[in-house]
Amino acid sequence: MTGGFDFGPRRHPRRMSLTPMIDVVFLLLIFFMLSSRFGMDTVLPIAGGAGGGESAWQGAPRLVRIGADDLALNGVAVAAADLAAALAPLMPQDGGAVILRPAPGADLQRVVSVMDLLRDAGFDDLILVE
Amino acid sequence: MPPRRRRGESIIPMINVVFLLLIFFLLTAQIAPAPPFDVTPPDSRSDIPAQARGVLYVSAGGELAYDAARGEAVWPLIAARTDEGPLEIRADEAVEGVRIARLLKRLRTASDADLRLVVGGG
Repeated sequence: MTGGFDFGPRRHPRRMSLTPMIDVVFLLLIFFMLSSRFGMDTVLPIAGGAGGGESAWQGAPRLVRIGADDLALNGVAVAAADLAAALAPLMPQDGGAVILRPAPGADLQRVVSVMDLLRDAGFDDLILVE
Repeated sequence: MPPRRRRGESIIPMINVVFLLLIFFLLTAQIAPAPPFDVTPPDSRSDIPAQARGVLYVSAGGELAYDAARGEAVWPLIAARTDEGPLEIRADEAVEGVRIARLLKRLRTASDADLRLVVGGG
């Protein structure tokens, strides 16, 4: 019983064909190239009205009403360029929050633009209220 | 001097490069679930990177989506989140600011997670 089965002449391909593997790799490459997203998103910290309340309000009222294309600080219309200068004297020593109140008609892009404006001027604590 | 004859270009270097690209894209790709509706975040100059753990989508019309839930069904899910880091709000740039303010107020009472507004890179 040493003969066993006869499998016929052994075939040894000298070299495996690489083509199918390259096909698959290209397919994966194209899939990941098309499905990947570049450029990480960024976020803005945002605080809502209710809750929070970790400390009492300090200093003068600072309510910025954001209209579709106008701004008002404590009810007085103010130009976007003058907003930071008008807010500065109202801030307490150790920095405080500024309340933003979007008016009907102001979309989110407008609100975020005003938030950017204030953050650039150093007002980081922004509260969005209804 | 006779030109050296080559038996054909070797493909091994090309495969090396393709593998390199493949691994690069594998590692950089982020497999994120498709957004439930088309949302264009507002542009901002913020440079705080997003983490994308829990994302609440808000469409231009004000519809809400969180995980598989839509509309009012998102609130029990948001209230049930425990220790998953900040909640990111991915709202369309055209949504009314008042609506977002109202949403923030309700989120504040529903959950004590930090709130972040996703913005596009400026």
